[in-house]
Amino acid sequence: MELNWSTFILEIINFLILVWFLKHFFYRPILGVIERRRSTIQQTLEEAKTIRSKAEAMEQQYQNRLREWEKEKAAALEKLHRELNAEQERQVAALRNSLEAERERAQVLLERNQNQARRKDQEAALERTVRFASQLLSRLAGPELEAKLVALVLEDLTTLPLEQQENLRETLTNTTEPIKVASAYPLEESKRQTLQAAFHRLAGKNPNVLDFRQDPELIAGLRISIGPWVLRANLQDELSYFAEAIHGRLE
Amino acid sequence: MEGSAMLNGVQWQIGPLIITETVNTTWGLMIALALTVVLTSRNLQLDPGPLQTALEGIVSVFEKSVHGVLPQYTREVLPFIGTLWLFLLLANLSSLIPGLHAPTRDLSATSALAFLVFLSVHWYGIRTQGLRNYLHHYLSPNPILLPFHIIGEITRTVALAVRLFGNMMSLEMAALLILLVAGFLVPIPILMLHIIEALVQTYIFGMLALVYIAGGIQSQQMRQKKNRRN
Repeated sequence: MELNWSTFILEIINFLILVWFLKHFFYRPILGVIERRRSTIQQTLEEAKTIRSKAEAMEQQYQNRLREWEKEKAAALEKLHRELNAEQERQVAALRNSLEAERERAQVLLERNQNQARRKDQEAALERTVRFASQLLSRLAGPELEAKLVALVLEDLTTLPLEQQENLRETLTNTTEPIKVASAYPLEESKRQTLQAAFHRLAGKNPNVLDFRQDPELIAGLRISIGPWVLRANLQDELSYFAEAIHGRLE
Repeated sequence: MEGSAMLNGVQWQIGPLIITETVNTTWGLMIALALTVVLTSRNLQLDPGPLQTALEGIVSVFEKSVHGVLPQYTREVLPFIGTLWLFLLLANLSSLIPGLHAPTRDLSATSALAFLVFLSVHWYGIRTQGLRNYLHHYLSPNPILLPFHIIGEITRTVALAVRLFGNMMSLEMAALLILLVAGFLVPIPILMLHIIEALVQTYIFGMLALVYIAGGIQSQQMRQKKNRRN
């Protein structure tokens, strides 16, 4: 219980030394490293915060970009659909026009084929008709029919229109060639003279020489050639004329 | 004098200085503490190992305790209070080693520590507020109270010294008596009690010292705030 001054003083000195020693070699280094760690952690936290803010900004940017892409994609899809629809409508219209044209062409072709077939049928029918008429007239033809046709020629020569009469007269006057008279049957002398007299009367002078010849293909009747003039009064030419007229009407 | 010398464990003498067992034990504790500190805090890393973690934990606890009382002067007061806690803990527990006596069962040692606390109160007060401002608080709120302030300073210092000394001394004496009466049946509970008592007395001494220092600093601050308000 006694106070020892030496111990008292030495304990004070000891403790002060201990305080100094621990302050410099214990508290200061330990607090320093703790402080450094805190600053490092703080720095790391700030860096993490910075990185996080950057990441959030990038995420926001990415989201914005994504939304823009979505809008662009939607717009592009809409445009594509519009173009596809337009192209489809265009191609459908073109196809429809092409089909219409093809159908019209087919229709025209069909009509043409039908017309050709009809005409062929008509031509065939005409040919058969002409052939039938030729055969029938050939069987009916004879000198009597030819005499009637000669009479018909003589009558026609007298009843020609004045203009034709003038032309024929001029031709008869100007030409020196003989008048070619073809008949299916041999002409009697009286009919020859009658013809010569008719030409004399028409030309007003002695007519050119009449060259009579026989052409059985005429079936019955005469074919008189005066220069460029040809007077047809025979069944063969009538049938040909009939066939050509029918054929012309068919075309 | 011979009896007291034996009681205080006088071992040798250098001139007028008598080196007692208390001083020897204190030196031994200081050397052990210094070696431990030097060996463990040589190579501090930002990524601490288990030992460095323990040291940082101890210092962090000290810092947190001091910061709770004196947030503005933690770094200034921490070395003194922390050393008090470390030294008192080792000194109180040193009597667990057979053949050693705790330095804190010596009134001279506890008086020296209490005297250092007394000085530190004034030292930190003057250092933070200046001599004039610090001494002025002894005259407030009325100069008549100056003797009571002085008596309070002395008595609390004496109480600080005697409290620690009395507790540690009585603990050793009680343990010795129980050991004499009950033989070897009770040492372990007594040792447990010793450890608890050592921790409690360490905490009390250090916290009282911290509170006294804080009182010396903050009384001035409160007075200044009051003057500024007026």
